[in-house]
Amino acid sequence: MSLLRLSWLLYRKDLQIAARSKEVLGFMLLFAVLCVVVFAFGFLRAGAAADAELPGVLWVTLLFSSTVGLLRLFTPEDEGGVLDLMHRSIHGSLPLFLSKALLQLTYTGVVTVLLVPTVLLFFDAHLQAPGLVAAALALGLIGQATLGTLCAALLMQVRMREVLLPLLLYPLLAPVVLGGVQVTAHLQQGAGPEVWGGWLGLMAAYDVVLLVLAPWLHERVTQGAA
Amino acid sequence: MQESSQTSGSRPVLQASSVAWAVGDRFVLLDADLSIFPGECLALTGDNGAGKSTLLDLLAAVRTAQAGEIRLYNTPLSQVEPAEIARRIARLGHKPGLYLDLSACENLILFEALQGRQADKETIAARLGEVGILPADQHRPVRAFSRGMLQRTALGRIVHSQADVWLLDEPSTGLDASGLQILLRTIEQACAQGTAVVLASHDPPLIQACSRRVRVSGGRVLAEAA
Repeated sequence: MSLLRLSWLLYRKDLQIAARSKEVLGFMLLFAVLCVVVFAFGFLRAGAAADAELPGVLWVTLLFSSTVGLLRLFTPEDEGGVLDLMHRSIHGSLPLFLSKALLQLTYTGVVTVLLVPTVLLFFDAHLQAPGLVAAALALGLIGQATLGTLCAALLMQVRMREVLLPLLLYPLLAPVVLGGVQVTAHLQQGAGPEVWGGWLGLMAAYDVVLLVLAPWLHERVTQGAA
Repeated sequence: MQESSQTSGSRPVLQASSVAWAVGDRFVLLDADLSIFPGECLALTGDNGAGKSTLLDLLAAVRTAQAGEIRLYNTPLSQVEPAEIARRIARLGHKPGLYLDLSACENLILFEALQGRQADKETIAARLGEVGILPADQHRPVRAFSRGMLQRTALGRIVHSQADVWLLDEPSTGLDASGLQILLRTIEQACAQGTAVVLASHDPPLIQACSRRVRVSGGRVLAEAA
């Protein structure tokens, strides 16, 4: 069985589990909406939420809600005691990492699809360049899913992981969030690619580094621990 | 059960030499030596906290010995591929080693795939039937199972793994009288086919059924227990 086929099989299994329990995605969505509501009230200016804050609210809400998913990403393996079995597949622990990163990407993708219209509704705004914002969001989601999965895996059996995960993840995700906020803000202001192109490039470059480094680090750490 | 192959001169499947494991400054295991031969059933006895589970974890390569060496067919465990360890050694720990939101059948199919094998659903159903999981229960999530049924399913996983060594930590936990009989019969059959079984238990019928007994005390593996 090839690496990709096994990873896909594990991903399908995770989707099956997610569909049966439904709790993770539900909580992520609820948390995202709650964040937007809180931000909208926090940024009220003259009775309306200030749309200048929209990029920040969108990206920070995504970051927060993705953390909810990450904290539960390895729960099925942990509660059933199957982690060492998953690290010892014919392709090592790589299929587990790939399937979990893809699952996290799926979770955050669904949240994003519902979050964007919610933010626009609360901030009474519309996207100036939906395609480019979608591209920036896609790059952001790939980055957070890859790095988030790595951090969640590293902290899985650590006490206080609920606290440590954001402490570890948020600083490391700064280029992604900062880039996403800048790209979205500039696009909303109608700026040209010479203004936001560099930020988008930074996000893409950071994603490439993460996509290479994170699976390798995960394999090194898990096989070393096994 | 079948007499140990130790006397017949066969080489050990697993061999621990001067193994040590400490938590902080307290040694859980110190200079522990143990050889496990094909076809034997070895009982580890000893008080709570004596180090039985730790020894099983080390033998299963779930933890790495801080000193000393463990060899699988005379090759240091550190040099054996993780997938090969999974193929040779099956471990039943305090957790069942199952995805709780998958059915018994789905779990076994998944673990087959991890080892690159194509699952034979009929064989899996038969295997689960042997350990007392009725056909009606084989397709519902194991989360709904009682502790005893979970343990039976976990035993089914071990049997189906076709590993050379079974490491069972308190395998009779939660089992009723018929479950215990199934466990005893399964171990006897496995040993007759050359599988080495090491179990840590406080259950007298299980300990008595073993062909060899050693006592773990004060971090050391002592001579044959009475």
